[in-house]
Amino acid sequence: MSYFAAALVALLAAESLMVAGWGFPSAPIRAPATLLLVHLVVLGWLSLLLCGALFQFVPVLIARPLHSATLPLPALILLLGGLAALLTGFLGLNGAVAMALPLLPMAGTMLASGFSLVLWNLGRTLWAARPLGWPAKFVAVGLLGLAATVAIGIIFALVLAGTTTAPAALRIYACGLPIHIVAGLGGWLTLTAMGVSYRLLAMFMLAPELDRPGTRVVLQSGAWALGVAVLGGTTAVLANHGTAPVFVVAGVLGLVTVILYARDIAHLYRARKRRVIELNSRMAAAAVGSLLLAALLIVVLGSMGALARHAGAVVFLVAFGWLSGLGLAKLYKIVPFLTWLECYGPVLGKAPTPRVQDLVAEQHARKWFGLYFIAAWAATAALFLDSAWAFRVAAAMLLVGTAGIVLQLVRARRLDDVPASVRFPAGSMRPPLILSSTRPH
Amino acid sequence: MNSGERECPLERARQALRTVIDPELGYNIVDLGLIYDVGIDDAGMAYVLMTTTTRGCPATSYLQEGARESIAQLPGIADVDVVVTHDPEWSPQMMTPEARRYLGIEEESIR
Repeated sequence: MSYFAAALVALLAAESLMVAGWGFPSAPIRAPATLLLVHLVVLGWLSLLLCGALFQFVPVLIARPLHSATLPLPALILLLGGLAALLTGFLGLNGAVAMALPLLPMAGTMLASGFSLVLWNLGRTLWAARPLGWPAKFVAVGLLGLAATVAIGIIFALVLAGTTTAPAALRIYACGLPIHIVAGLGGWLTLTAMGVSYRLLAMFMLAPELDRPGTRVVLQSGAWALGVAVLGGTTAVLANHGTAPVFVVAGVLGLVTVILYARDIAHLYRARKRRVIELNSRMAAAAVGSLLLAALLIVVLGSMGALARHAGAVVFLVAFGWLSGLGLAKLYKIVPFLTWLECYGPVLGKAPTPRVQDLVAEQHARKWFGLYFIAAWAATAALFLDSAWAFRVAAAMLLVGTAGIVLQLVRARRLDDVPASVRFPAGSMRPPLILSSTRPH
Repeated sequence: MNSGERECPLERARQALRTVIDPELGYNIVDLGLIYDVGIDDAGMAYVLMTTTTRGCPATSYLQEGARESIAQLPGIADVDVVVTHDPEWSPQMMTPEARRYLGIEEESIR
């Protein structure tokens, strides 16, 4: 729960900065203000969210406990410290704060250490559970994407801080940004989210687990797309060759991945046994739709030669329509579920207990999710139209929608929507807002 | 003990297990088909063989303990042993018609 709380604070902070006109599109895409905003979203929000979710759900995917239940806390402290140093370091590049400390190298060290703990813990957990099922294999490939993203990010930090002037590092700094973005958004965040979504959607909608040839192709094409982009891209950069052919190949593979994934998810929805599905599953469909839209935009813009000009809009749609949309939708299930386990799990069999679904009030949350997705799509449109003003209006809607969803999560955590007659059976107690502890499975 | 006397504690045990719900589906674990077997011997030792809706379910240990607690409070029960298995895997076909109706599962969709 600490990961989720920190992640949501970062999301609200990032959206507030967007409303205030901080960073792209009001500032150039490589400006320090944009770097700060982007890293607040991808590290502070998305990566912390995904790490927290993986610590909960990798054990579900492989039906084994986490390798270490104690490592997530030091990892979180290192990641938060690294993020704070990185953001302050970007402010230093902007001239907004004096750089008394080598903040960027410090940030690189702390983030690398924090993510290493995450990788070690999840890697050891997965390794012990071989042979892995399909969802867990997606997570394993996603973790390789994380390792690549962090490695390239450290090189950027060292060059930006002037710590290294090695020619290879300078070349990667000059031309490696697309590799960093593809490995992070495509490899780490998207492949991992795909793997987890396969299992969670099947679980929550009572749909049969997918094990069909198409799913295998999704994983293989996704892994190849990541491998080609990272290894091929880095080789091309170091050899002073153009990276365009590499990214065309990786892009085609990525497109195959997204289309087959969307087909699989559509199959899961069709094959579900629960006809009436919960809000979290309906909103997950809106997120997958955003991913599909982003893929189609990449094809259309690529064929028109306009992809570079509109890259910011596409990246925004991936980050806020797909990844954040899916993240918020799944948090709307994960938070009540964990809260139920903490509060009512210990009294099960001793007293009547409410359902997980009794912890949420979907009729209130529905409008905030609706506003969120409309705002995410409107903000994407504003970026296409190069309208910084319209983007800020859409960002304000995004902020209000997110705040509404966060309020619903807090209400679920505080059991505010549970009927008073069954809220506290004998022996139960309200769990703390931020800290949580559940028994191993 | 004749069969009529033996049936009564078993039925009581099943009723007690109905107080335990699967938190996600919100229905009792007996009618969801999660209880594969229940037995009570003459010494009051109860035995429950149960499953979860999915392998690796985060609520497994709570459901196991809940099943144990629900039967342990019955009169004449000395101890309860609850074993979780995934052989066979649970499927929606194992639910009672009432549970299916509660969850809005159409009869034809599970055939």
